[in-house]
Amino acid sequence: MKKRDHQDSCSSSYGGDSGGPSSYGKAKVVWEDELDASGGMDELLAVLGYKVRSSDMADVALKLEQLEMVMGQEDGASLSQLQNDTVHYNPSDLSAWVQTMLSEVNAPLTDPAQSLQTDLDFSSLQNYVNAESKQTQLRFSDDSEYDLSAIPGLAAYPPRSPPPPPMQQPEPPPPMQQPEPPPPMQQPEPPRNKRLKTAIGSSSTNPNLPSSSSSSSTVIAAPESTRPVVLVDSQEAGVRLVHTLMACAEAVQQENLKLAEALVKHVGLLALSQAGAMRKVATCFAEALARRIYKIRPQDPLEATYNDILQMHFYETCPYLKFAHFTANQAILEAIGTTNRVHVIDFSLKQGMQWPALMQALALRPGGPPAFRLTGIGPPQPDNTDALQQVGWKLAQLAETIGVKFEFRGYVASSLADLDPAMLDLGSPEMETISVNSVFELHRLLACPGAIEKVLGCIKAMKPKIVTIVEQEASHNGPVFLDRFTESLHYYSSLFDSLEGSGLSPDSEDMMMSEVYLGRQICNVVACEGPDRLERHETLAQWRSRMGSSGFDPVHLGSNAFKQASMLLALFSGGDGYRVEENNGCLMLGWHTRPLIATSAWQLSPTVGNQ
Amino acid sequence: MTRDKEEKRRQALCINDHVDILLEILKRLDGRSLCTAACVCRLWRALATADSVWEHLCLRRIASPGSSVRPVVSALGGHRRLYMLCVRHLLTRLGRDPGSSSAWDELQLSLSLFCVDYYERLGGRFGDTAATSSLMFLCKPVNV
Repeated sequence: MKKRDHQDSCSSSYGGDSGGPSSYGKAKVVWEDELDASGGMDELLAVLGYKVRSSDMADVALKLEQLEMVMGQEDGASLSQLQNDTVHYNPSDLSAWVQTMLSEVNAPLTDPAQSLQTDLDFSSLQNYVNAESKQTQLRFSDDSEYDLSAIPGLAAYPPRSPPPPPMQQPEPPPPMQQPEPPPPMQQPEPPRNKRLKTAIGSSSTNPNLPSSSSSSSTVIAAPESTRPVVLVDSQEAGVRLVHTLMACAEAVQQENLKLAEALVKHVGLLALSQAGAMRKVATCFAEALARRIYKIRPQDPLEATYNDILQMHFYETCPYLKFAHFTANQAILEAIGTTNRVHVIDFSLKQGMQWPALMQALALRPGGPPAFRLTGIGPPQPDNTDALQQVGWKLAQLAETIGVKFEFRGYVASSLADLDPAMLDLGSPEMETISVNSVFELHRLLACPGAIEKVLGCIKAMKPKIVTIVEQEASHNGPVFLDRFTESLHYYSSLFDSLEGSGLSPDSEDMMMSEVYLGRQICNVVACEGPDRLERHETLAQWRSRMGSSGFDPVHLGSNAFKQASMLLALFSGGDGYRVEENNGCLMLGWHTRPLIATSAWQLSPTVGNQ
Repeated sequence: MTRDKEEKRRQALCINDHVDILLEILKRLDGRSLCTAACVCRLWRALATADSVWEHLCLRRIASPGSSVRPVVSALGGHRRLYMLCVRHLLTRLGRDPGSSSAWDELQLSLSLFCVDYYERLGGRFGDTAATSSLMFLCKPVNV
């Protein structure tokens, strides 16, 4: 009896006629099934007092597992709230009970396994959610069928401006037995947030799309029985967002700029419905696409110092750069062995953050430290300050403190291709052990034809003992724009995901600067072409073949590097998400299953072909 | 009766009279206890904040650290700072999986991070006691 009401309210209060023929239809079928097959209950459970249809068994089992998983993750507070608030009718009906429980639980929680929708800090999201719901209600004023606030009425929802528009479909007055989540009159904050959250999700769905959207509001009553019940709405909006981005990119590729323009605006709106990493990624990509469509000149190349600052914040937020530095240092340490003089040529000096750790390791080397010489290459500074010398001075101070003989020289070059080994004042290989280091610099040379070959030739002429290269593990240099776009979307989604996992508050300076840093890369990959497009990342396999054909042999990074990297990552909160992988002697750092950066080490091939 | 009492008084040991024993005890404490000990009285504070005690704490698990570690660490800010900034976080976070890394490796990592911290402080932007931003990640709670 009561179950019938429950099903009824489920199908009628939700998306009603036009929106929900499928959900209503399904509910109806289920109901009829139950009426027909009174003997269809599973017998064993019936003995225990539970009525579950045999046909439903697998489904109920799956949902019970999900419920268990979800409940296991909740902290005590929301769990007890769950126990207090939910009204269950006919608890012998396991199927309905578990659906109601899952719908309760769905509203405040997100699916942690969802890669696009990252873990949300619920408490910090509250204000954000409140603000955002206002915004989305303003934008999606025709989403009245999802205007859930009409149901419990003004008691729970004091009027916001603009007041909710008149309903397009008359909502039936909710039957009193409706097993709603807690009567909102009594519980101000948490249920409100539950509803607000799904209000965002549902209002973001395109009202023009048909029946599938009816499943989006999960709060009022149990969702469709056939859907796997874990936060359907934001997931859907997220999927829709990605599809729209892809469609826009395709339109750009086909030079259909009118369509692209419309789509990119839509993306911008959809992006607002998301939260966290997905939102930021979508916004960055939307901006980049807009720049490409409107042919806005690429952003002014940043002053080198500003770029350094951005990278410093990125260094502090997440382990990628630290990983790069530590693994490269380990390779250098192992290569130089017991030599007395070391000369490192660093293509990516920036703030010199890589070298303190190496100098410390040299200082503690059994047998005493070698003399350490560093040549740093940097871009010209617009205000003529000698940034390189400042870095050199700091490093010299450190070296003196820990007792390492140190020498520094800085070279200014606007592009690495301008480098001439003769200028570098290199000692002969017998006198000093030379090593070349490049972190995220070589890929820029691919923008100029011939540049990379010139630089590799230059490196060979220096006769280094070891060359350490760290590059992004991504294929952002393909000839087809759409492929580049897709690749970079996945890559930067993972990267932003990992930023979220770092536990920093979203409005900390570090976090925002890191996002700007990555956002600029995205703009470069998507919006620029030709010599302006500097972020031409290539995969490890591509670099391998390039280095191999240029006369370099791979050097395997040892287990020490792997161990040190693993230890380093274990220190980071969110460290469980990071993965160190060994790939034929090279080390890759990734987020969950996606490798993001790769460190490799090279030496000159011993053959004569070093011309 | 009074003779008994007097004897007892003679035999009662006041640890503050035996600084060498006190030092030996302090050397075996963990970091938190050492800090607590430093709050007891001036003598204890002087002993518990001496760098040699913290050096023992940091190098406790290392079989033969070699003579080069001490001058480097002292120059970079001392063992107490090393422990506070780096070692204790490594101990708690890496302690879950004791077999995976040797104590020496962990110390090396601590030292590297410590050195980076010193380098950042050379910029002069940070106060003496605060950890620089590069070590902030160590202060974040970790999902265990």
